[in-house]
Amino acid sequence: MKDSQYVILKKENFNGFITGLSKLHKLVAPVSKGYNNYSFEEVSSGKEIAIKYIPTILPPKKFFMPQQETLLEYDISKDLHTEAVVEPEEMVLFGVHTCDIAGIQCLNMVFSEHPKDYNYLTRRQRIKIIGLECNEYCDEHAVCCLMNTYMPDGGYDLFFTDLGDYFIVHINTRAGEEIIEAINLFENAEKSHLEELEKLREKKRTVFKKELPIELGSIPELFDRSFESKVWNDLDERCLACGNCTMVCPTCYCFDIKDEINLDLSTGKRYRVWDSCQLEPFARIAGGINFQKTRAGRQRHRYYRKFRYPVNKFSRFFCTGCGRCSRACMAGIRLKETLGALMESESREVNA
Amino acid sequence: MKRPKPKVAFFDFASCEGCQLQVANTGETLLDVLDVIDVVEFREIMSEKWDRELDIAIIEGSITDHHAEERLKQIRERSRILIAFGSCAAIGGVNGMKNNFDPDEIGKYVYGSDYHFFPTEKTRAVHQVVKVDYSVTGCPVYIPEFVEVLKAVLQGIPYYVPDYAVCVECKLNENVCMYEKRVGCLGPVTRAGCNSWCINNRNMCYGCRGIVSNPNEKGAKDVLSRYNIPLDLVLKKIDMYNKCREIKNE
Repeated sequence: MKDSQYVILKKENFNGFITGLSKLHKLVAPVSKGYNNYSFEEVSSGKEIAIKYIPTILPPKKFFMPQQETLLEYDISKDLHTEAVVEPEEMVLFGVHTCDIAGIQCLNMVFSEHPKDYNYLTRRQRIKIIGLECNEYCDEHAVCCLMNTYMPDGGYDLFFTDLGDYFIVHINTRAGEEIIEAINLFENAEKSHLEELEKLREKKRTVFKKELPIELGSIPELFDRSFESKVWNDLDERCLACGNCTMVCPTCYCFDIKDEINLDLSTGKRYRVWDSCQLEPFARIAGGINFQKTRAGRQRHRYYRKFRYPVNKFSRFFCTGCGRCSRACMAGIRLKETLGALMESESREVNA
Repeated sequence: MKRPKPKVAFFDFASCEGCQLQVANTGETLLDVLDVIDVVEFREIMSEKWDRELDIAIIEGSITDHHAEERLKQIRERSRILIAFGSCAAIGGVNGMKNNFDPDEIGKYVYGSDYHFFPTEKTRAVHQVVKVDYSVTGCPVYIPEFVEVLKAVLQGIPYYVPDYAVCVECKLNENVCMYEKRVGCLGPVTRAGCNSWCINNRNMCYGCRGIVSNPNEKGAKDVLSRYNIPLDLVLKKIDMYNKCREIKNE
């Protein structure tokens, strides 16, 4: 830890920081919606922000690839005339947990692949990220220790850690430094502050325990052996195919593209809207054939898209351990239980 | 060269006419709509009638007696395109609750001892009587969807009512799930397309848009018991709009 990369913000200055920052940029932070539900929304004072929050209903991906986003405008009144549309917005996200920062890192990889997704990348460039450390578990659904996302690991401009009377702030980028310079409320971090931070991290290593008795490295092999597992049939009986698990996932990025013509029947727009592999029509094609007819197959696909396929393609898991899919599932399909069931059914087969 | 505007008429059968009222209340978009269609009959907003050929017939209401059936068949014969408009027309809607009862029993209940002067039949959705080209479901219809359907008609392309749950749109709108509030919401089994209108306004989903094509009935029952919501209550809620789905198409 280099001292110069760290500053502190006293708690009594927190509101001033948020108010000041909201005057410079559109500022978005976690806000309570009741029933222990939270969402990232625009704020202008510290009081609106839920500093202690469990992962929001939708992850911050909604700012990088909005639920509905115009890609193209067209006019067919004379010849076909089209114009690409990107509508980026400058903003700062405050209070992003490490699991969600990991989610954004995954999406960065996906959308930087050829062909590059300029709508995503242009938005990404204009969004600054201020992380916020989880000092303890949010709830029983998180698997952030197993997925190794509970400690900060880059992907942010600034990173806040709550140390009681003050926040210690890691400055990770030039853009982050500019925020610190613009809001004149920060003080240099002393050696004692850094020691306290180190103490918290030490404590976290004992509080956060691997949620399942399996090494991360052996998960892909577990999935290699589990394609025909009965566990998927159990999910078939329970899953309602509502798509909640994918909508709330920080790394699900599937979208559908639709054209919407105006009432003049000559001008219109092409837009994308989030889609979900869990939905009945997702893989239904002309002639009524459906490549993913069963809920079991669709759920299996979702799990493989998190724990198996991206390991080959991107050399990382696309589960960030945030636990949203488990929280959002009315049928009580819990990621932890599914992984546990896969491990268990396998050991039973081995012993049999 | 401008093509002549298609002639459009609204007709109502067993319904509250609330869906037509939605059209009348559309506001500014209505002016754009009227730029591209020629409304020749619409009793909520005009007195003129039209008994000749039609490009588009918009039918509100369900079919509950033989007069209605005959009238509907006549309208179908003189209309190039027919749109079932609103839940009553598209899926039978609340009138379908009648099908829960013995016809004599409810005849007596409504009309007293002379009920046989008012013959009535099982409630049917419009598509259970004549061919329907387009459907706009909803109680009332969701006007943005009506406009989308109208544009599809004008372009001569199909409109597909989404075949996935209201939950999809509800999550896109980032609402707190009704099940978190321990409310037996019908969103998980109801077809989307309304932009989760009711839940956005802190109400639950009543299933007015019809059930998805392949609902997981066992799974849905398990969900209700997980949340301690009585199954009977939810089945009654489903029947409120969806009783006519039990009628097999002839």
